[in-house]
Amino acid sequence: MTPDLAVSLGSLRLKNPVMSASGTFGYGLEFAPFYDISRLGAIVVKGLSLAPAQGNPPGRIVETASGMLNAIGLQNIGVERFLADVAPRLSDAGATFAANIYGRTIEEYEAVAERLSGLASLAAIEVNASCPNVKEGGMAFGATPEGISLLTGRVRRATGKPLWVKLSPNVADIASIAAAAEDSGADAVSLINTIVGMAVDHRTRRARLANVTGGLSGPAIKPVALRMVWEVCRRVKIPVIGIGGIQTASDALEFLLVGAQAVQVGTANFRNPMACVEILEGIEAFLREERLHDIGDYRGKLLP
Amino acid sequence: MSPSRMRFAAGRIVRNEGHGEIFYRLEASLPEPVEFDPGQFAMVSGWPGNDPLLPRPLAIFRAGQGTKGKGTVEFVYKVVGRGTALLSGLHPGDPLSLTLPLGRGFDLGKDGRRYWLVGGGVGFATVFPAAAMLARRRAEYEMFLGSRTRDQLPPKEWTPGGSAAGRVHRCTEDGTAGSFGRVTDIVKERMAVLTEAEASRLTILACGPREMLKEIARAAASLGAGMQAALENHMACGFGVCWGCVVALREGEKTGYRRVCREGPVFDAREVVW
Repeated sequence: MTPDLAVSLGSLRLKNPVMSASGTFGYGLEFAPFYDISRLGAIVVKGLSLAPAQGNPPGRIVETASGMLNAIGLQNIGVERFLADVAPRLSDAGATFAANIYGRTIEEYEAVAERLSGLASLAAIEVNASCPNVKEGGMAFGATPEGISLLTGRVRRATGKPLWVKLSPNVADIASIAAAAEDSGADAVSLINTIVGMAVDHRTRRARLANVTGGLSGPAIKPVALRMVWEVCRRVKIPVIGIGGIQTASDALEFLLVGAQAVQVGTANFRNPMACVEILEGIEAFLREERLHDIGDYRGKLLP
Repeated sequence: MSPSRMRFAAGRIVRNEGHGEIFYRLEASLPEPVEFDPGQFAMVSGWPGNDPLLPRPLAIFRAGQGTKGKGTVEFVYKVVGRGTALLSGLHPGDPLSLTLPLGRGFDLGKDGRRYWLVGGGVGFATVFPAAAMLARRRAEYEMFLGSRTRDQLPPKEWTPGGSAAGRVHRCTEDGTAGSFGRVTDIVKERMAVLTEAEASRLTILACGPREMLKEIARAAASLGAGMQAALENHMACGFGVCWGCVVALREGEKTGYRRVCREGPVFDAREVVW
């Protein structure tokens, strides 16, 4: 018997809990040569802003122990081109997709959310309240419960779409930030975004990133992400989407075990374009092996 | 599957041998044959574990048919850091992960052009496939290969189309092989004596250190010669989704960041903001 992998994120039903993380999957279509992108629970596209954005100057990435730092700076095609050129093709491909959005001001967040609200095929809006690489990339809002309440509440009133808020780990108490998002109308929270880090070259005496600091991702951050997801799951009632260093099916299962309703796979897509489907197949194989008919019978079942 | 289509492939190492102090020649078998344009590349990894995390971009040196419908692919690489050092320690029979073929290669489309191929250091690995194709077409070309010292020039037997005098010019900065001097200067000296008509018929295909590309690009532009430069950069994915490998390109009055892995690695040298 095929195990039932479907999960609910509030009113939204996904065929399985495996999504791509924003910023690691382009606009989704880039993966179509590798596999049928409609197989994923959802694709979360690269962060969209009202106007196209140039991003940061190079060098933008540097490898670190079991991870990488990036300071891309949210380069993107803008919401209008996404609506005109990308969204129809994602629909044609049968993909379930969500749009990650950011703005320099709350008004810009609202405007992008409003612009996307008419897109029937859009499954959800994920608010980026956590980009560490752009001054106005959401961190100003994501750093405090008050900021997250303000941003979540305003975007909530701007759109009827399912609303996810993507949280930063660069805070003292992530559970209280998640609770603020919940209280202000978020349908789900997704965490974690990258952890602010830095790399320097001791010979050239320069920072390795043009932006000096960047966001750390990859297997190196998984224990931090897992702890934060666990904390947030114990605090809020809305669904939690676990993100951070997921490379394999067992990594994904660990996040589900501590209570995440779904997961997003990020940096793993860079090293292996098949990562998302391999993780999906691995989860299914595990449930079969454990004779579990429904993923709900496993999720949140961390033993004391 | 169409052989030129991008795919993620589980390969296996057939050979991985060192040549001189620094070059390795790696051959892998692939489940299916692959076709590539000269200048295209692959993302390659095979070491166990998560450190380093990312595959390494390597120019495709050669690709062919294997036995039983399988394919083969070859790379020449230089050990420059931990990733390539680990790669050089892998043995025949070891698994290799490859995403390929990637990027936009050299445009060898126009008839009646005369080509100069310039390889600085391990840059020869990127221009040799172009030479092989031009040799097959009996197109008019010359090749300029430069390195710091003798051991860092490619073995002569690797040269596609033979290394007949007048066709392949080798040089070293320390004078231990070929002419004495930088390949940049040798190319610029040759360029300086071209007539206007000759220059306008010339296309330079080059890969090597950025400073070399920049200087040759400036000289080519001032003489009205064409130039396609194969750029290198750190990249996480190699197929256009991380946006980590961008370079600044001129677009009319403005400049924009374009991906080395997708819009490149070969760019019209006049458009690159050097």
